[in-house]
Amino acid sequence: MFFPREMTEVELIIPSKDLVAVTKVLSGRGVFHQVDSAFLGLESLGPSTWQEKAANYSTFERRIQAIMQTLGIAEEQKGSTEFDTIVELDTVRPTLERIESEVKGASDKYGAEKKRLEALEAQLKQLEPIAHLNFEVGGLRKSDHLHSILGVMKADTKVIERLDSIRVPHVLFELKRDAKDAVVWLLGSKNNSDELERAAKSAFLNPLTLPEEFSGTPQQAVEKTRKAIEESKQKGFELESQLSKFGGAHKAELQKLWWDAHVSRLMADAIARFGQLRHTYVVVGWVPSADMKLLSERLKQASKEILIEAVSAERTGHHEHVPVALLNNKWLKPIQNLVITYGRPSYGELDPTILVALTFPVLYGAMFGDLGQGLVMMLVGYLSHKKIFMKGLSSLGLLLVYCGFFASIFGALYGSIFGFEGHLIEEYLHFHFEPLWLSPLENILTILGFAIDAGIVILLFSYLLSLFNMARARDWAHFWFGHTGIIAICFYICFLTILNGLLGTTPIAPKIAAAISRIPLPFNILTPIFAFGVMFNSLFRNIAEGHRPLIEGGIAMYFVTSFMDLFESVISMLSNTLSFVRVGAFAVAHGGLSLAFFSLAGEEPTIGFWLTLLIGNIFIIGFEGLIVYIQTMRLHYYEILGKFFHGGGMRFEPLRLNSSQEEA
Amino acid sequence: MASGVSGYAAIGAKVRARYSDLLSPQDISRLSDSPDFPSLISSLKNTPYGPYLASLKDTELTPRRAIQQLRHRLADSYSSVVQMSPEQTRPLIKQLYRYFELGNLKAVLRSILTVSSWNPDVGAWDRVREVLFPFGSFSTLPAQAMVEAGNIPAAVELLKGTPYETTMSFAMKRFSAEQNLFPLEVALDLDYWRRLWAEAKKLSGLDREAATKIVGALLDMNNLMWAIRYKVYHKLSEEEIVNYTLPFGFRVRDEDIRAIAAGGDIAAIVARNFPSISDVNALLEHPQAGLPKLEVQLKRQVMKQCTAAFIGNPFHIGLPIAYLILSDLEIQDLIVMIEAKSSEVQDDDFRSVLLKTSLLN
Repeated sequence: MFFPREMTEVELIIPSKDLVAVTKVLSGRGVFHQVDSAFLGLESLGPSTWQEKAANYSTFERRIQAIMQTLGIAEEQKGSTEFDTIVELDTVRPTLERIESEVKGASDKYGAEKKRLEALEAQLKQLEPIAHLNFEVGGLRKSDHLHSILGVMKADTKVIERLDSIRVPHVLFELKRDAKDAVVWLLGSKNNSDELERAAKSAFLNPLTLPEEFSGTPQQAVEKTRKAIEESKQKGFELESQLSKFGGAHKAELQKLWWDAHVSRLMADAIARFGQLRHTYVVVGWVPSADMKLLSERLKQASKEILIEAVSAERTGHHEHVPVALLNNKWLKPIQNLVITYGRPSYGELDPTILVALTFPVLYGAMFGDLGQGLVMMLVGYLSHKKIFMKGLSSLGLLLVYCGFFASIFGALYGSIFGFEGHLIEEYLHFHFEPLWLSPLENILTILGFAIDAGIVILLFSYLLSLFNMARARDWAHFWFGHTGIIAICFYICFLTILNGLLGTTPIAPKIAAAISRIPLPFNILTPIFAFGVMFNSLFRNIAEGHRPLIEGGIAMYFVTSFMDLFESVISMLSNTLSFVRVGAFAVAHGGLSLAFFSLAGEEPTIGFWLTLLIGNIFIIGFEGLIVYIQTMRLHYYEILGKFFHGGGMRFEPLRLNSSQEEA
Repeated sequence: MASGVSGYAAIGAKVRARYSDLLSPQDISRLSDSPDFPSLISSLKNTPYGPYLASLKDTELTPRRAIQQLRHRLADSYSSVVQMSPEQTRPLIKQLYRYFELGNLKAVLRSILTVSSWNPDVGAWDRVREVLFPFGSFSTLPAQAMVEAGNIPAAVELLKGTPYETTMSFAMKRFSAEQNLFPLEVALDLDYWRRLWAEAKKLSGLDREAATKIVGALLDMNNLMWAIRYKVYHKLSEEEIVNYTLPFGFRVRDEDIRAIAAGGDIAAIVARNFPSISDVNALLEHPQAGLPKLEVQLKRQVMKQCTAAFIGNPFHIGLPIAYLILSDLEIQDLIVMIEAKSSEVQDDDFRSVLLKTSLLN
């Protein structure tokens, strides 16, 4: 639950006769992450024939796809059990060739007509930029003294300026420009034609290749070309309807053919990465330990002589080569996506999804506390999750539900409902609703102080998680002397006592810092000691890890950089801690923004009053809801996850026949 | 300043931590003393590259595979920096990262032209993917489909919707006429650097200052080397050189490039912009050997510029960019060593092109 799924490294030795049956099991279940072991092959056997087979299947599949595309037939994936074995190309090729020959006539004509249409459109595209010029363009070819290049180049001012800056006497006209293309006309003396051509060529100025038969003004040629395009399109429609008739007749046959070729290609691809010995194949890969038993049973059913060696991967040490399969809980999917955007946990690392699932909605709710708006957000999230409303947000639907839930709870704690607070509720909604805890607008400094306290708790917890991760990885040098190691945590605790001294008895002074200051410890002695530790932590790490030289770049430089490290640590601790003030500040801002809409609405409960409040609530839910989301994400990415989570895990990509199979 | 501090606190700490993991000049020197390729790899396994090489079994230990594994570390660094950097600076870092995608695109295009001369027993894609930078999910390039397309026009057609579409559409006309990849590659290069410079210029304050300084150093090096190569080696005309280079930079001015294009004194121009580089005339006498040496010296200038970014105010994008470029240069050194050791090149022949060891002097 708190770590990626436990993985088992599997090595299989398969007799050649059972190769396909075993591959079918490995590919069909979607639990086997293959490691390329083709290098284990015996050189004397020559290159694997399966590579060639895979290439042939791939070509065959592309041929089927090409014809399906021509006939407008969609590929239809079937269940992973809906195939028997790898198909022999010789047996299925005649079917494809028969269909190809039937369709070929109409398809070729359609292809030729499409090409003609493309050529006409390209010609029109060349003519359109100069359509407004009122002169005989054919005349350009007949000039005795001028060398002229009319063409299209990238619409980049710098590139055009560069071309215009050549030293040969010339004139450059920019005739037309859009976001992508610029039509330019480069003119110079015929004597300098070589230089002009070289300059135009090296500036990627593509001359317009006007047809030889081109005569008259560009406008006349444009009209003629447009007419030809219309005729070509009409012919294209007729051929298309003929092809769709063929499509209806061959749909089922082609879909089955494609599925067989597709599955065969996937399996041949997998086999090409097996190690091939004289009479056996060696397969190496990773399987989630929980799926291992069932997979072993299926493999033994497929091959009685198969040898299976399985070793569970330790979570300690380095795990770059172990693929990471995350827990597949649909309720946590949106939270998992948030975490993955930051980084995929490595195998031995704590998966922060559960932690983020708790902290994200709570921090969001604390910033966006409103009972009514929270419930609306929950409803929108639910409808979006069910793809009834705002389908584009369906992947975030559940997250909206969670955030809305906590926004409602905090709304009750703050005594806020659709922006109505205190006496406004009784005056306009006619019922009594007291905050269960406090109203942020009336207790601004208290809520800010509380936010900092919450931040300190979260940061200390993040530090502890970092220690936990490092202890599991047995990275003792960083455990003690890392940026989030024991020494750094002790320094942070000392730093909190300093912060307490600075903020004194002000209302925003964090109570946790005050409590720590009351512990009977000599913080004035401990603070410089731990500061010294933080300052020279790289030296201590080098000693602990046996890295030499201990100090790089000379003593003086080392002291300067060490001091900067300490300075940076202090600044980070301060900014990280105070960063949580935003939680309180947004709770206050939420109330303030609602009040602003009440000022706009006036005092009389007319239709205009309720309409203004309705628009205000929609605005707050949409706009402020988004800002709070960004702030919550920022707090997690910078302040929380950065402390203990490194990511960088390799994605678990099991063999599968059907791309819709759920990712583990 | 306050937003700079909070915005760069996490990434600054991470970059500094990773910066301390970069190999020192002494480490590079020690590695270059390895007697052969296997012992070099075994020494590298005791460095921060160890975890990337650990998964390689002895049977897989080819120079190509080793290089690929080392590049994974750079790819990880880029992914991590992109994710942690402040929002407004991400386009710049992503564009900087795109340099490797550009390299992949060129490799794919070259492979399509040369595939007919390859051993037909090995699939073209299998050959090509071995040399591609492990760009991961950032890539917009349909590399496999392009290789399988089998010809340049069909492959370029697949670039629709990618950042390369417009540039390629203009350059393809020349490719069709000349059947040569040169115009495509030049157009891609110019477009890449124009976009990178534009992204750097979009930033404000300290970020802009730091970014233009470091990106500008890289750009200067490339622009200057292009102008010199086109003039000295390819003997292109003035107007072609002007169009195939960039009119901006940090130190190198447009006038410098134009002067080189017009046949001006290259040594004087290089010396004016980079006073610490001497003997440019000697290098230009034998361009085939001299130009790579000049490029190495310019790369060392870039390296110094990047190292300098770690001194002073740390709350700007300069640090992450400098770290990424230093990581790339370090991997370039390692690649030189791997190739030298695996082809049994004499020590003297490759040590002079190592970038980092110059800091020992």
